[in-house]
Amino acid sequence: MRRARTRSRAAVVLAAAVPLLGACGIRATDVVEAGGPASVQAFLDLDSEMLLFFRAPDGGLSPVIRPAEPSAGFGDAYASGSDSAYTAGPVPTEKVVTTLLAGPDEEDRAAGLGTALPAVRPGGSVAVEPSPDGGVSTRLPLALKDLDSTALRQLTCTIAYNRDADGQVLVRLEGRDGASHSDTCGLARGAPGNVPGAS
Amino acid sequence: MTTGPGPRRARRAEDRGRRGDRPTDRRFPIRAFGLRTRLMLAFLLVAAVSAGTTAALTYREARTALLKTAQDTAVSSFRDHVQQTAFALPVREEGIEEVLRDLARKGKPRPWVVFAEYGSLRASSGENPVSTVITPELRAAARANPRGSFERVVKDGVPYLTIAMPTVFRTSPDSLLPSGLVLYAVMRMTDEQVNVDALLVAARDGALPGLAVALIPGLIAARSVLRPVRDLRRAARSLGSGRLDTRIPVRGSDELADLASTFNESTGQLERSVRELREAEERARRFASDVSHELRTPLAGMLAVTEVLDEDADGLDADTARAVRLVSAETGKLAVLVEDLMEISRFDARAAELNVDEVDVGEAVRKTLQKRHWTDDRVRAELPGGIRARLDPRRFDVVIANLVGNALKHGGAPVTVTLRTEARSPGTTVLITEVTDGGPGIRPEALPHVFDRFYKADAARTRSAGSGLGLAITLENVKLHGGTISAGNRPGGGAVFTVDIPLHAEEAGG
Repeated sequence: MRRARTRSRAAVVLAAAVPLLGACGIRATDVVEAGGPASVQAFLDLDSEMLLFFRAPDGGLSPVIRPAEPSAGFGDAYASGSDSAYTAGPVPTEKVVTTLLAGPDEEDRAAGLGTALPAVRPGGSVAVEPSPDGGVSTRLPLALKDLDSTALRQLTCTIAYNRDADGQVLVRLEGRDGASHSDTCGLARGAPGNVPGAS
Repeated sequence: MTTGPGPRRARRAEDRGRRGDRPTDRRFPIRAFGLRTRLMLAFLLVAAVSAGTTAALTYREARTALLKTAQDTAVSSFRDHVQQTAFALPVREEGIEEVLRDLARKGKPRPWVVFAEYGSLRASSGENPVSTVITPELRAAARANPRGSFERVVKDGVPYLTIAMPTVFRTSPDSLLPSGLVLYAVMRMTDEQVNVDALLVAARDGALPGLAVALIPGLIAARSVLRPVRDLRRAARSLGSGRLDTRIPVRGSDELADLASTFNESTGQLERSVRELREAEERARRFASDVSHELRTPLAGMLAVTEVLDEDADGLDADTARAVRLVSAETGKLAVLVEDLMEISRFDARAAELNVDEVDVGEAVRKTLQKRHWTDDRVRAELPGGIRARLDPRRFDVVIANLVGNALKHGGAPVTVTLRTEARSPGTTVLITEVTDGGPGIRPEALPHVFDRFYKADAARTRSAGSGLGLAITLENVKLHGGTISAGNRPGGGAVFTVDIPLHAEEAGG
């Protein structure tokens, strides 16, 4: 009886002492979310530049900016601004898709970017036509059923951002094999973006 | 054989009393877990818990606020600086370290190390392109959700703040696209640690004086409890030593005051009972004394008549003569009884007086024996001459006569009276008078009672020549002299009565 009382008394003292002792110094925390991302300047000009989506090493999509005039250097195209060759409007979608299918260039590969799309014979035709529902339909010179989800998203996002600066366009892909795939890009801020392995 | 059962019993009772007193003496001043210690500990505990809790809560709040300010400043400043930076896409390796070093210099509240991760590209403003402090969890959070986040990491005892800042870029005025570039800032929180440690020291330094201050009410409370308890103890002891009018002052109206008033009531009742008992005893004594007084006058007349009748008894016929002698003898016994009763009443009333005179003790004993005609060989006396003492001769005579008479009556010849002196503790000499007889001795169960009034050692012999008060009167007389008397049996058979009387006078000769 007496011992039990002593023990409970000791427990009370201990309970009072533990928060005192355990609270010293600066302790580690979990990951705490703090505000939005940082919005950086990337100098994107959709009239003269193409936005291509390649595969990052972690499986997500990474956007790269490529000047539309391959013959001109990046610096020259940039310096001459929007007054260069394509003043009439956005770069043609056929050209953008052809460039995407050609795969990452040296700079992209240096940053570890790659593509999930297969190599396509040069000269394969890409046909683009707007669909009645406001979307866009693209016929591709490759078989769709062989493509994985990253490849489909590369195509969808590249076409969507070419047609609309917000990327909010329904993209319909048609393969040489007759298969088709409809989707929106969904990479915009707030949507589950370049999640590793997300499809 | 110097002490008898009576005094021994008294001494044992005294020992018990003293033994019982001793622990109470020690109870208050030194006690490891006494009331005072316990009260002090309780106060200290309460103070420690409250001061500790307050200090701990204050400390935690202050620390949280301090860290939150530092973190929020760091995160928002890092975001602002990153937002003022331009990147080409894809991010090129050349030149990026320049950009990162520029960002690192702008660190706020103090410089940080900035790391960049893009694709397989890893760069930093420091020496190592990849941080060892950034956790996989922070990386995963930054990749999964394009929102700023931070994590506090303690590595090797040093706290770090790690901030992950995913970047987005504008594709149209109201559309943002994650760029795939994540910037990290790693900042040592040494200054914050110093501040937090200072807070801890301040909390501790605030709590400790609080504990010291708590000792003062503890002492006061202990005192307020201990004082009534001490009063109670003192009163109880005083009550035990016979002062029945002891009372405790009742202070306040708490439980201790209730206890004090209960104690006072009980003492009052005890005092009343004892007074009633004493009065009853007093009445009984006065009654015995009055009765003896009242009996004395008629008895004196009766004694005179029986003496005359005794003288004329020879002239009467045999039966009448026997009756007359019987009446005469019984009247004589009655007279002795009444005298003894009056004597004992005087002792009880403390009216007995000691008329001391310096006497030769041997001579006094010899006179006593002669007066009672105990000069034949039934009584032997071993009386060394020259022992002088200050005694009441009449009372000493009564003592010797009673003891010798008792020995002759209940013991048997030869009865021996011996006198000697003995030095006891330094400075006191004791006169020892021993009366021994040749009888069978006193039965052990009768020994404690031989000095009781009307006690008959032999139950069968209810009627004897004595009044039954002889030894009681002897005891009172010895006590009056400041001495003791004891009864016992000799190893060889026969009773022995020993009287010790302190010898106040110096021995004249020898």
